[in-house]
Amino acid sequence: MEYFLFLVSSGLVVGATYGLVGMGFAIIYKATGIVNFAQGELLMLTAYIAFSLASSLSLSLVPLMIVTIPIAMVIGIVLERVFIRPMLGEPLFSIVMVTIGLAVILRGVTIMIWGPDPHEFPTGLSTQVVLIGPVPFYQVQLYGLATLAAVTLAAWAFFRFTRLGIAMRAVAANEGAAMLMGIEVSRIHMIAWALAAAVAALAGILFASMFKLGPTIWFEGLRSFPAVILGGLDSVLGAALGGLVVGLIENLAQGYIGQGLREIAGFVVIVVILMLRPYGLFGAREIERV
Amino acid sequence: MRTGHYKETYGELIALSDSGVAWAWVAALAAALVLLPLLVGNYTLSLAVSVLIAIVGAIGLNLLTGTTGLISIGQSGFLAIGAYTNALLATDYGWPVWASLPAAGVLSGAISLLVGIPSLRLKGLYLAITTLAFSFIVNYVILYAEPLTHGPNGVFLNDTTFLGLDLSSDRGLYYFVLGVAVLVTLAALNLLRSRIGRAWLAIRDHDIAARAMGIDLVRYKLLAFAVSSFFVGIAGGLMSLQIRFINIDVFGFLLSIEALAIIILGGFGSIAGTILGAVFLTLLPEAIRIVLSLFVDPQAPAYTKYIYEIRGIAYGIVIVVFLRFKPDGLIGLWRDVRKYFANWPLAY
Repeated sequence: MEYFLFLVSSGLVVGATYGLVGMGFAIIYKATGIVNFAQGELLMLTAYIAFSLASSLSLSLVPLMIVTIPIAMVIGIVLERVFIRPMLGEPLFSIVMVTIGLAVILRGVTIMIWGPDPHEFPTGLSTQVVLIGPVPFYQVQLYGLATLAAVTLAAWAFFRFTRLGIAMRAVAANEGAAMLMGIEVSRIHMIAWALAAAVAALAGILFASMFKLGPTIWFEGLRSFPAVILGGLDSVLGAALGGLVVGLIENLAQGYIGQGLREIAGFVVIVVILMLRPYGLFGAREIERV
Repeated sequence: MRTGHYKETYGELIALSDSGVAWAWVAALAAALVLLPLLVGNYTLSLAVSVLIAIVGAIGLNLLTGTTGLISIGQSGFLAIGAYTNALLATDYGWPVWASLPAAGVLSGAISLLVGIPSLRLKGLYLAITTLAFSFIVNYVILYAEPLTHGPNGVFLNDTTFLGLDLSSDRGLYYFVLGVAVLVTLAALNLLRSRIGRAWLAIRDHDIAARAMGIDLVRYKLLAFAVSSFFVGIAGGLMSLQIRFINIDVFGFLLSIEALAIIILGGFGSIAGTILGAVFLTLLPEAIRIVLSLFVDPQAPAYTKYIYEIRGIAYGIVIVVFLRFKPDGLIGLWRDVRKYFANWPLAY
């Protein structure tokens, strides 16, 4: 039982970072209709920037997040402007390919700036274990879960109540009609990238402080695909839940079925979900069957 | 500009080329390729082998992504299957290369049907993500099925010969790979001018319309997967012959990106474009190395340390720049140049 609870708790914690990255995928997909393959690299770049900030300013975790978010948003906007905006009107496939190209560029540049050696991420948190019921958590893990909860709540409120959030939903539902209603679609795209970069930064900081900051951290982006597929590519809140579920599945598969399954359990989930229910648990059913 | 060549029969219309000049150039190219080993050293020859292998693999991908419009970003998975099949059959079971190499293609093609089945329901991005997931699953299976695949230890290939050609020598391998590349190119060209190729193009352009015209989508999509992966599996087998020692690290995500970069650079759906793309992209790291060596010491630690990153950045830039400015690739550029000179001095 203890083993099971341990697997569940660490699964939920990893799942929280998947959920955050997955929300980034979903925000961009919802607003612009493209899958941003550079999401993991956004995470990587912002995590490294946060690392430099943390070591030079010696900030603790929460202030670090608050400082990094605006920087990440600026990066998101710049990338959208330079790489994605000029592709407006090109086939979807080309735009997605551009994000793949962008991904390898960002990855290479980041490694060349910060070097290929992994770093210990300074969080300023104690490594004391906190017991919640019978389950032990590290402090940073609790921060991770709390961040996911806070971001999910904020995203829900944003899309439900704010003018901008409703405008984003309008653009997602029908770009042409939204434009006719006076919504500036290109601005919505830009904001979507900024928000995606912001959640990527949060996920990056959390992931790096739970584990390590290394040159393979970009893979976290691809690892988060199952979360967003499970939740439905266009469902931001579904991605958060999907992340938790995928984190759980990965850990339980690793713990009970076989060594190394953690690495691919999520991808097996992708294949199964796409065969059975391609729009995910909460996505809009608009898969065209031909 | 050529004028007055009216095509009167269907056969003339689908002929590979009706131009004697084009055939003459192809003959010249063939002669040059056959004579190449006599003129250049081993290093250049091994580069040429890499280019030829890239051509084989990229033609496979282009049939799937460029011609049929089914996006795959998991090519490294099929390359790994091909390479491991060829290497394991040759070393552990003692198969000769004339049997193990086709087996690599067949197994890769057969497994691709598993990925192809979801493709019957999924389009575009969803399919791309499935193929990506598939390539990671393949790598995992290879890594953990240790009794069969040697797992993390990798596989060493023994020396092999084919019809008296010593495949462990650069020259022997070059002729062997050249032969395979020519066969694959001819096969792809001929497929494209048959009913199958036209059906694939129709599916890419509009699958509902294609179905309305009597094209069996299930059959032709699965066929595209099988044929494409057969070629990619062959390319994987050739890779194992070239590098002689394979382990799973060879088949990373960057390899899939490289494959995509080749067909984007060359031009979607064009075999000639694929060949151009493979030549340029395979030689790109080499060109970067030469250019950089003018400015920095090639032995400098900073350079050797980041060689992989520099390559990645170069591929990324190629993808972004071509999609932005020349979406029909090098072959489109070539057509523009040809049209410009044909119409000179008038612009259009």
